Amino acid sequence: MADIRPQDIGKPSEQLSKIENLMSLPAPYDKPGMEPGFKPLKDSWKDDYCTTLDGFVGNEALQRPKTKEEEEAFVQGFLRGLEKLFSNETNRNYLQPFLLSFEYCAKCNTCSEACHVYKASGEQEIYRPIFRSEVLRKIAKKHMKGDGFWTRFNGGDIDINVETILRLGELAYRCNLCRRCAQTCPLGLDNGLLAREIRKIFSMELGIAPKPLHEKGSMLQLKTGSSTGITREAFLDMMEFMEEDLYERTGKKYKVPIDKKGADILLTHNAGEFMAWPENPAAFTILFEEAGLNWTLSSEMIGYDNVNYGLFYDDAQTRKIGLQQVKAAKDLGVRRIVVAECGHAHKAAMVSIDRALVGEDNIPRESFLPLLLDVMKKGVYKLDPKRNNFPVTLHDPCNIVRMMGVIQPQREIIKMVAPQFREMYPHGAKNFCCGGGSGFAIMNSFNFPDFRNKVSSRMKFKQILEAFQGVMEDDAPKYVCAPCSNCKGAIRDILEYYQATAKFNVHYGGLVELVVNAMVQFDKPFLEFLDEEEWIAEHVNK
Amino acid sequence: MAFIEVSGQQIEVDEDGFLLNPDTWTEDVAKYFCKEEGIDELNDDHWKVIKYLRDYFFQFGIAPMVRKLCKDTGFSLKGIYELFPTGPAKGACKLAGLPKPTGCV
Repeated sequence: MADIRPQDIGKPSEQLSKIENLMSLPAPYDKPGMEPGFKPLKDSWKDDYCTTLDGFVGNEALQRPKTKEEEEAFVQGFLRGLEKLFSNETNRNYLQPFLLSFEYCAKCNTCSEACHVYKASGEQEIYRPIFRSEVLRKIAKKHMKGDGFWTRFNGGDIDINVETILRLGELAYRCNLCRRCAQTCPLGLDNGLLAREIRKIFSMELGIAPKPLHEKGSMLQLKTGSSTGITREAFLDMMEFMEEDLYERTGKKYKVPIDKKGADILLTHNAGEFMAWPENPAAFTILFEEAGLNWTLSSEMIGYDNVNYGLFYDDAQTRKIGLQQVKAAKDLGVRRIVVAECGHAHKAAMVSIDRALVGEDNIPRESFLPLLLDVMKKGVYKLDPKRNNFPVTLHDPCNIVRMMGVIQPQREIIKMVAPQFREMYPHGAKNFCCGGGSGFAIMNSFNFPDFRNKVSSRMKFKQILEAFQGVMEDDAPKYVCAPCSNCKGAIRDILEYYQATAKFNVHYGGLVELVVNAMVQFDKPFLEFLDEEEWIAEHVNK
Repeated sequence: MAFIEVSGQQIEVDEDGFLLNPDTWTEDVAKYFCKEEGIDELNDDHWKVIKYLRDYFFQFGIAPMVRKLCKDTGFSLKGIYELFPTGPAKGACKLAGLPKPTGCV
């Protein structure tokens, strides 16, 4: 299947591309039998969904039209949406960056070398960052310039049919939007942005977006207050439980400030933390309370969930949710919003929504990282790094490092609490995505988890294994620190998929948990994978 | 949309087999899901978790935090996995007829 070209996307076939030789993994995953194979594609999916791109189905809302009329309406709808990308009326915020990336690609393929999906897949043509961009260019050229000889000669050589559009709709969800390619492009083009523009056509014009992002994501957030479905009542119940739980774990009574008017800081979490990793907001509570910060959480609509999935696929959704989040802060009269461990929310709340906020709506918004570092440097917490005496590596969430340039604070923090810290390579602004970016971490329909665990997260798993070379097969626990809910979800899944926790004692979690685990005021470990008796004997009763 | 047939009733489920409407759940639905979630037979402990999940869901419109589930039912997370090999979200919630968990969880 070598040499698939972008124009082949419109040629009917059972499956355009098939992964055959995945990038190899380092020891101990270099032996056969260490990795489960791909689950077979089910025949029953073929009639209703697009299985013809690469045999994975990620977008369950992208359904195969059933009649000629439906096919025609589908293709025409796509073309109508495509036209809207090029108009200032309908794509004002993104028109300029879109056109800059759309026009000038020199096809040098520097971006392909930077792309973890392309490399991990065994260099499959269709996963090159420019492959989908080229498909888009060809469709646009043919549609706008007509199907003449000159157009065909000039890049408009593509069949625009239902297969083209369906496959492109799936292909838009084979990119994590991590923008590592944009960072490396000698012309500064952003193929990640183009992938998102393609997603926008499907979502904003055709109403097609993966359910976990749209129907059960943004729409659920607008309805209940959170993409997890957590309502105000549920949130308050959870906080009450968290306080009780904190008391049991630490022996100290902490009160979580909620809706405190005029506080300095509104702290916002990804609501997924409350459900799946409550130890993270609990650790924030300890750190903020022990530092005596004047802070609060909000129980107002969307004020307790900082995610904004529209960022993955739809400008209108992004705006609606972003404005509601700012409203929660304004209503409380806080001075600033501090975003906790969610990389996606870092970008959404600080960068992406900025253009929509004018005047007094533009409340200062910042990352928790420099704030926490400042507090730690003042010596507020009494820390004993030996309490974290096990190998620790750090995953950099793309949105925190590459999109925002926050790189050193997390390293300074981790070095203050983890004596066996080791970097992944590359890291910082040149990090690799966890493979869960742009919604992949929560897209679990059909066989898409196979694509994530075996392909898009593969580079991250390789980096984790490399970071722990030499200690991987030791009994001691190893910790992958990932200060981002989405990245944690993706890393949790790979550790489970490859049985790295079960076989090699590799654990994962956030950054603030590590800090709390090093605080000498507590008599029990905060990290629960540690052997409690052993830990107490070594660090408390020594 | 997909349907499953339980005791002669057609019940609508999503792509991953979770019930679309928790009100359509019956004990037979839980029994129906057993096999695909790796459970031989439902015992009192399974029912205790299922009942807790449903009570919480109808009070708050959402599944409880995993930690709260463990504490209130008295099972450790490991214990929950022993009861429901596919885990609290994929396994236990499905048997209890709760919708598939959403968001970054």
